[in-house]
Amino acid sequence: MTTSVGVSPGPRTLAPAVHRTGWRSSLDGATTPARLRLLLAVLVLLSLAWGVLAALTANQHASAAADVVALSEPLSLDAEQIYTSLSDADATAANAFLAGGLEPAAARQRYNADLTEAAIRIEAASALVGSTAARTQLPGHLAAQASATDAAVGDDLAILSGQLPVYTDEVGTARANNRLGYPLGAAYLREASGLLRGTLLPAASDIYTRESGLLTSASGQATGLPLIVVTVVIGLGIGYVLYRSSRWLTRHTHRVVNYGLLVAVLAGLVSLVWLAAAFTIGRADLLHAQQQGSAPVQAYARAEVAALQAHADESLTLIDNKGDDTYQADYLAQKKLLGPGPGTLLAAVQAAGGNGAAADAQAWYTAHAALRQEDDSGQHSIAVQSALNGDAAAKFRQLSADLSDGINAHQAVFAASARSGRDAFTGLAAGMIVAALVMVAGCAWGLSRRLAEYR
Amino acid sequence: MVVLATFGLAVGAATAVAAPGQPAAARAPGMASAHGAAHAAASCNPEASSLRPSGPPQVTPGSFMATIRTRGYLIAGVDQSTYNFGFLNPLTEQIQGFDIDMIRAVATAIFGDADPDHLHFKAISDAQRRPDIQNGTVDIVAHTMTILCSRLKYVDFSSVYFVAGQRVLVLKNSSVRNLAGLRGQKVCATAGADSLGPIKAAKAIPVALPEFTDCLVQLQQGDVAAISTDDSILDGLKAQDPWTKLVGPRITNEPYGLAISKQHPDFVRFVNAVLQQLRTDGQWAASYARWIGPPVPKPPQAQYGG
Repeated sequence: MTTSVGVSPGPRTLAPAVHRTGWRSSLDGATTPARLRLLLAVLVLLSLAWGVLAALTANQHASAAADVVALSEPLSLDAEQIYTSLSDADATAANAFLAGGLEPAAARQRYNADLTEAAIRIEAASALVGSTAARTQLPGHLAAQASATDAAVGDDLAILSGQLPVYTDEVGTARANNRLGYPLGAAYLREASGLLRGTLLPAASDIYTRESGLLTSASGQATGLPLIVVTVVIGLGIGYVLYRSSRWLTRHTHRVVNYGLLVAVLAGLVSLVWLAAAFTIGRADLLHAQQQGSAPVQAYARAEVAALQAHADESLTLIDNKGDDTYQADYLAQKKLLGPGPGTLLAAVQAAGGNGAAADAQAWYTAHAALRQEDDSGQHSIAVQSALNGDAAAKFRQLSADLSDGINAHQAVFAASARSGRDAFTGLAAGMIVAALVMVAGCAWGLSRRLAEYR
Repeated sequence: MVVLATFGLAVGAATAVAAPGQPAAARAPGMASAHGAAHAAASCNPEASSLRPSGPPQVTPGSFMATIRTRGYLIAGVDQSTYNFGFLNPLTEQIQGFDIDMIRAVATAIFGDADPDHLHFKAISDAQRRPDIQNGTVDIVAHTMTILCSRLKYVDFSSVYFVAGQRVLVLKNSSVRNLAGLRGQKVCATAGADSLGPIKAAKAIPVALPEFTDCLVQLQQGDVAAISTDDSILDGLKAQDPWTKLVGPRITNEPYGLAISKQHPDFVRFVNAVLQQLRTDGQWAASYARWIGPPVPKPPQAQYGG
């Protein structure tokens, strides 16, 4: 639209005769139509630049937020479930072993359910890691971190799927020997437990740590301030240029309002407010998801795993009561880790609102101490009864149930908040592009009307 | 020192495998001379180190037995996973075995009846046997424990109630005939067991695990070529896996004794009186037949050093 207009003789500008330097001084000598054409070009370019910048920013945050929901969450959840399922299988197998050949049906079902859960999660995680399409959407440095994570997680999953059958085979052999009344059964159970703790759990833990790292990065990217601040400042700058331009036009053309520029300013303002609002809401949701969701889930999960390991130790001490106290020493180590008390896992659970778990743990410790007292004074079968379906068993079930409930509740908070955070960015990038196009159209329309007056 | 001396016995023992349960010195002249060397070096004779009983077992006032009777129960440190000597039977939840029979006889002699409440078991590891006796955690240890001069410095032993010897357990399809045939291969024993000495001497690769059942797991999984320790223990492993066999001669002489604190010589004499009864009234033979099986040899004759 500007190219059709030649250099036409028009009224001289009324610019004040102030000494100017650089490009502005060269403008002083130009005709008003020339200045208008230059202004038009600058405003169109600025509008387009804003559109690109705002859309990129929106896209960056939106995809990171989507990543929090769609990628990291399921995998770290899978890893957490693999870890807790395996720990539970370890504890359940050891506990059921105490019952001898007449293994309680509930224990057998729980053990089988644990193994099924672990197998399903391993498969699901493998499918997620294998789906490169999903992960290549990740922006920038996150993609590099994701591909490094994928390689390591792939190795971990190979260990898990390869060693899980070995573990179940050893537990099966342990059971078969136990049914025959052979001490060899206890040796196989110890071997199986060692494999689970020494190989399977570290692999699951590694996946969890790496995926949590990725989740933290994605969340950080989605809620990070630098990019959005720069974008908003540039947006404000462009808005200021638009405002000055309309003032300049008013002075030079003696018209109060240029509707084209007004539309452009309004479109810019709307896009800016939308961008800032979407980011503020999305950020708040994602931070909430982290603080009330994934962080408590992690705290609960770590506490649950420590509790399960201590529970397995309790059973293994009874099964393999050699007096060298390896398993009891591990029980004490896990108990110390678990707390409650400053800096312990249960302290983190309490901080997340799980006060019941700490009381449950204390009750279990008391029951466990009574159990050890009985076993150490030669009352082995009374101690076994306590661990199997007596006081210690009931107290541990309560603790385990409280921790599981906490994980589920906070997981739900995480999922809801993260989704709502992701949804805040819905349509944002497209909206930014549309707004920029409206700005371009407004500028072009407003200035071309002025230019037409010089024909 | 002791390991070297007992390994020296192997030369003689290779030709004299007969009559298990007999003190090694009575069996072969070669062994006697090796034994003499050990005796001279350590100035002790493990098989004749115990205290002579003064007649049949009697709980005299003021004795340690009277203390135990007042307490209401005897505390015995036992093994829980050595099949047929001391093991927890999952079917009965009871600790059973040949060692356990010896202990039950002691408890019965103290209390005058066989009420199981008079006997408390504490399952302990090999490494725990000595400290638990020394600090009084248990009154007596029955735990396939070989009487060694090195151990006699810290604890007292009863007279010999069983004699084992180190042999080799392999899978049934193995062509190995003895420990020497395992040169360069992995051979399993428990950590700290004196069985590791001959394994190293045979230039096999020793694999030390916490328990002998762990060794059997490794043997079944093909991770070790053999297990080598007392034949009494190997018999128990073989009973749990019929696809194994014992090969080679006895290469050591392992006289088992019940360990008691040096604080309680009266209790040592009392236990020796109980053991003497078991030897003569047929209980020893009955226990042997039940846990180890026929043919039942003569019980090892008691020899005393004081």
